[in-house]
Amino acid sequence: MDFLIPFTTSGSLVDCVDKKLLVVLRDGRKLHGVLRSYDQFANLVLEDTVERVYHGSAYGQTRHGVFLIRGENVVLLGEVDLDLEDDVPLQQVNLEQLLPFYHQENEERKVREAHKAKVLYDQKGFSKEGGEGDGY
Amino acid sequence: MLPLSLLNAAQNKPMLVELKNGETFNGHLVNCDNFMNITLREVYQTSADGDRFWKLKECYIRGSTIKYLRVPDALLDSVKEDQNRARDASRRGGPGGARGRGAPSRGGRGSSRGGPSRGRGRGRGA
Repeated sequence: MDFLIPFTTSGSLVDCVDKKLLVVLRDGRKLHGVLRSYDQFANLVLEDTVERVYHGSAYGQTRHGVFLIRGENVVLLGEVDLDLEDDVPLQQVNLEQLLPFYHQENEERKVREAHKAKVLYDQKGFSKEGGEGDGY
Repeated sequence: MLPLSLLNAAQNKPMLVELKNGETFNGHLVNCDNFMNITLREVYQTSADGDRFWKLKECYIRGSTIKYLRVPDALLDSVKEDQNRARDASRRGGPGGARGRGAPSRGGRGSSRGGPSRGRGRGRGA
């Protein structure tokens, strides 16, 4: 019955090669690109990459070209369904228009997260984020 | 083409490296290893906020601190071409190995024998 156990390691990425992917990094960045290569650490090579920033139902994007992402920074990656992509109710706007709102939203989130972390640490017995070797 | 082979092939090419802490390094790749440790030369370092800059002659970056690297678009194509050329060469050399190796070396020896001797001859004449 071994054959029923699915690949859950980086080997499962074999189906994603040459497909358009969405990659989310630990710093919250969202990258769309075509996966060209990967290895056992899930280091990724993305071609024709664009970075998208979202605010509400609007998004702006910048072209970045070829990315080599160190695998440990990836939170999630998923294939983009090209047939459904155009039906997504999001509206592309000029990036410069969007950035002020995006930064403001980011600042608000940072304050909220800091507050949450403080409550968890002070009252709920949680440990602090970012141990040794956490570069973030 | 594995990610680290691509990095190897990027030697002497310009690249941008962002660390986990958000600092970025723009420079030409001098060398790298399988831990993704890299050395860059002629580097422009930018702070995480993007408000401070430093110029460094050369710098070393430990692989484990890297978030991502950006390499030139043309690199993927040139690497692909190199691979194809290497594959074709090994294919030609494979089945008719003796013939494949023999032909160019005969030609090479022949022309090199002709070259210097003609050169010497003219030299003596003048």
